[in-house]
Amino acid sequence: MSRALTDVLLDETPDAVVVTAPDGKVSYWNDESERVFGYSSAEAVDQPLDTLIVPPGHQDLYLQFRREALEKGQCTFETTRRRKDGSLVHAVVTNKVIYDKEGRAEFIVTTQKDVTQLKVLRDAKLVESKFRDLLESTPDAIIMANETGRIVLANSQAEALFGYDRGELLGQLVELLLPSRYRGGHVAHRSGYFAQPRTRSMGAGLELYGLRKDETEFPVEISLSPLRTDEGTLVMSAIRDISEQKRAEQKFRGLLESAPDAMVIANHAGDIVLVNAQTEHLFGYPREELLGKKVEILVPERFRGVHPGHRNGFFNEPRARSMGEGLELHGLRRDGSEFPVEISLSPLETEEGTLVSSAIRDITDRRGIERTLQEKNAELERANQAKDRFLASMSHELRTPLNGIIGFAEFLSDGKPGSINDKQKEYLGDILNSGRHLLHLINDMLDLVKVQAGKVELSAERFSLREAIGEVCAGIRPIAETKRIAVKVEIAPGLDFVTLDQQRFKQILYNLLSNALKFTDDGGHVGVEAALHGKESLQLAVSDDGIGIRREDIGRLFTEFEQLETGTARRFGGTGLGLALTRSLVILHGGEIGVESEFGMGSTFRVTLPLIVTGEGA
Amino acid sequence: MSTATILVVDDNSTNLKLVSDVLGFEGYRILQADDAESAQEIIRKTPPDLILMDIALPGMDGLTLTRLLKADETTRHVIVIALTAFAMKGDEAKARLAGCDGYITKPIDTRTLPGAVAGYLRSANTEEIRGKP
Repeated sequence: MSRALTDVLLDETPDAVVVTAPDGKVSYWNDESERVFGYSSAEAVDQPLDTLIVPPGHQDLYLQFRREALEKGQCTFETTRRRKDGSLVHAVVTNKVIYDKEGRAEFIVTTQKDVTQLKVLRDAKLVESKFRDLLESTPDAIIMANETGRIVLANSQAEALFGYDRGELLGQLVELLLPSRYRGGHVAHRSGYFAQPRTRSMGAGLELYGLRKDETEFPVEISLSPLRTDEGTLVMSAIRDISEQKRAEQKFRGLLESAPDAMVIANHAGDIVLVNAQTEHLFGYPREELLGKKVEILVPERFRGVHPGHRNGFFNEPRARSMGEGLELHGLRRDGSEFPVEISLSPLETEEGTLVSSAIRDITDRRGIERTLQEKNAELERANQAKDRFLASMSHELRTPLNGIIGFAEFLSDGKPGSINDKQKEYLGDILNSGRHLLHLINDMLDLVKVQAGKVELSAERFSLREAIGEVCAGIRPIAETKRIAVKVEIAPGLDFVTLDQQRFKQILYNLLSNALKFTDDGGHVGVEAALHGKESLQLAVSDDGIGIRREDIGRLFTEFEQLETGTARRFGGTGLGLALTRSLVILHGGEIGVESEFGMGSTFRVTLPLIVTGEGA
Repeated sequence: MSTATILVVDDNSTNLKLVSDVLGFEGYRILQADDAESAQEIIRKTPPDLILMDIALPGMDGLTLTRLLKADETTRHVIVIALTAFAMKGDEAKARLAGCDGYITKPIDTRTLPGAVAGYLRSANTEEIRGKP
């Protein structure tokens, strides 16, 4: 046999042939070794064999078989080996010791046959018979793989999910089902899993994707569990397509992000599960720093003690409500600053149980505005009171000299100090009229201010409505007669005694009647009607066939100094205070006043008053 | 009756003059005071039959002076008529409580004042006559 044949045999043998020194360093590495393990001869020679091809966790076995070979001269076993790329292969290994002339071990020749596919078939046969029927009946896609990462079983749900035909997946690396960007990492994770196999979900907190045969991706959720068999540990993956869930989540997230408020979702234990961008902005935390933390991180220190108790309270009776009704709530920023908030809570039913969703609104600005408004209100109130005081004292101050003017004019006009001529008497009459008009104006103003400031108390007394109306009518008779206006009075039978502030009642009727006369042309008609209105009220109606009021003017009618056209004041005189005062007096009695009018046809003012007011007025 | 003496007390000189002159033309003997203190002086020297008393006076007010007069044996019989600009509820009651015999609100009506004053004087006289055994 020539030397060449030896080379050919070594190079063409279907087994990986490796020669190592007794210390484990590689001295020969054939072509098949390079094909099986991925290392070239140049890479392998002089390296310790175990660091090249023994996967973690197999070190002890490796040493054990070497010892056995050194003791017995040769041993054969089946085991797992690692390739340069980290993937595992299943191999049948024979170690044979070569001795020198003195009988000492000189080399160990290791031949290794890659039986990965055979192992797959064996494992497949094992699990098929034991688990196939069971796994076909679960709704989830199930993939089982052995230590080398080869698929040994895929149920029909898995084949359908990934788009493969029956049997196509058997013997393939599980990485086939992952997008290529995850494959490298997955091999390492897989080896790690076999070193410490236990039931758990894969990649907690990560987004996982599956890859279909047609190269499309879809989000998945995977749970892993180890399955110990005579043929070694297998791993079973239950894979669930969560595309729908993701879509729903995305929708929910979109909703969350579009909310104007900061939204913080927490679970029963108070751990933050989800926050939106507004939360990051409002509290100054990046999202990652909040997720998984207790919500109390967002609550000022002094409230933290009681907060979990409140949370339990919420979960005991979960319903949408605002937090701490009537209390001032504060949020705590990352930088330690606080700000006033308004929080509404609502329960959120999810697969993970009931969560609480809090919408948090920074009300710093609103607080500021509220405070400003309060201050402005107080200021207005003060200004208003000052105005009332001013008007009251001015009215008094104005009246005092006016008393002199009117008194002396009257006295002179009556000729008491001596006789005066007609012209003088006429002028004195003008002074008197002007003075009396001014006095009337001042009196009305003083009255109105007092009523509006709540300084007028009613003095209720029992009196005859009939007599009171009669007296007021007698008072206005001179004007009515001058204008040849007929004043017709109708009082419903049975309506007579009432208990009201008599003086104020007369003032109300007098004001309405003098208005009616003022705005009715000579020869017109004015009527006063009093009738029961329900059981406890009376209605007083004063009607005229005068100039009437335009619809658009009715709203302004009862406002101070609002005589309707500037023209009317000049034409009809009056203070422009009468109706405002009348209305105030009616309200003071707990009554109502209204008007119906047609422009050009006349007006009817209706006043409803209680039959009895009690003591001091409203 | 027109020989009765009337004291007018008012701090406003125009009002004081108006009331004084209106009643003066009726033939009454008029005394004037512009505050409660000078009124007391006058009353001590020349006790009037009737006082028209402005309630709001600087210093001692009209009601206080009235209470003093009504508490004094020598001046109790003097008729006191309160004069006030505040036609407020309760003012009349306050005036009566202080011992005023009557109440006239400002602005005074020059046409009715003489009649009102005459009325008070007459009723006081009637009571006096009735009071005699």
